[in-house]
Amino acid sequence: MGQILSKKDQKIVKDGVWESNPVTLQVLGICSALAVTVQLKTALVMCGALTFVLCFSNVIISLLRNLIPSKIRIIIQLAVISSLVILADQFLKAYMYDVSKQLSVFVGLIITNCIVMGRAEAFAMQNPPGKSFLDGLGNGLGYSLVLILVGTAREILGSGTLLGFPVVPQIMYDWGYVNCGLMVLAPGAFFLLGIIIWIQRAISGYVEKN
Amino acid sequence: MQKGSNAYTFLFALIVCVVCSFSISFVSEGLKSKKELNVSLDIKKNILKAVVLREAPEAGIESEALLSLYKEKIEEWVVDAEGNIVEGKKPDDLKEGDDAYPLYVYKEGQETVAYCFPISGKGLWSTLYGYFALEPDAMTVRGVTFYKHGETPGLGAEIEKDWFLDNYKGKKIWDKREKLLKPVAVVKGKVADFISKDQADFYVDGISGATITSKGVTALVANWVNIYEPFLGKIRKN
Repeated sequence: MGQILSKKDQKIVKDGVWESNPVTLQVLGICSALAVTVQLKTALVMCGALTFVLCFSNVIISLLRNLIPSKIRIIIQLAVISSLVILADQFLKAYMYDVSKQLSVFVGLIITNCIVMGRAEAFAMQNPPGKSFLDGLGNGLGYSLVLILVGTAREILGSGTLLGFPVVPQIMYDWGYVNCGLMVLAPGAFFLLGIIIWIQRAISGYVEKN
Repeated sequence: MQKGSNAYTFLFALIVCVVCSFSISFVSEGLKSKKELNVSLDIKKNILKAVVLREAPEAGIESEALLSLYKEKIEEWVVDAEGNIVEGKKPDDLKEGDDAYPLYVYKEGQETVAYCFPISGKGLWSTLYGYFALEPDAMTVRGVTFYKHGETPGLGAEIEKDWFLDNYKGKKIWDKREKLLKPVAVVKGKVADFISKDQADFYVDGISGATITSKGVTALVANWVNIYEPFLGKIRKN
């Protein structure tokens, strides 16, 4: 890592994953974090799609940043982001049809995910393409990290499986263990997310200003 | 041209729009055949699921195995509005507005095991698409599937879950005593709580929090059962 990326560049990626994680610190992208994390598989595909969109929308916006008329910059950002999201959706429909059916509207809703537009407006409009790509990657990974944690916990606790494979041994069920139905529903994700935000903020020492 | 000028703004917006739309349509066209194949495979899978094969297809069945299973077991028919079978026509030949409807017949050897037809109609947010399969007596429901919809996950989207679809199995669309069509309706709540025992065959449990989707399902099942009734009535009499 050290040879490929300078200290500064590493910090850009690390900021997205940890120091200013979009989900736990900025509390963005919660809607999809709740909706697609019932199973780990859908969560992983969603992470891939979001990271792809985030990286490339950042790069494209950054390339155009000196040309975009400031009057219509939000609309231009949205046009670029929506196009990328539709592309991602088309590829999912062609190559991962089952998952794309499960994700249904949520791939399309990446367009309205605040993380994507937030990064375009806050970072890509002021920074060169290389740095913007890294910022997208960092934030995408930060979002993914949280989704994977939530998805893993929800699938194991809620369905007793991981990526579709049973992980809770049959003997536990024979002894009277029951899957936690709450974890399959959205409130289960709320609780988990709350706990993750709490732990992350406790470790990173982040305090909200009054 | 000045960067702040209106002309520049318009030109920039125009270029962005054209580039975006070209790249989207390019990719969409390029992947078209692959997407269509997926959709048609999914439809066949759903027909097989609705008729509930004696030996259900395995979960991870390959697309080729699925196609050959479909070819072997399912006959594609077309029936007209009077309930007659249209000879020499396949569901693929039907055009929109035709007064004829596709019918899929599941056969084991010579014996007919199920009749299956597509159903569709409005839910809350979207049009629901699915298949409805009846036993050879044309009264008893064999299976139902929904394969395409845009309902809320966790609420309306429960219509595609097994617990809801399994509700339908063994229910009746025809009241033998009253000689009346009673297409299975979705109850608000549990059947056992609201419907008297002798009528319970004509109702299924509803989805809590998805009243409008449930109403839509009731309406679309009734609609399509009525459309196919001329044909179903004929087999029922025999």
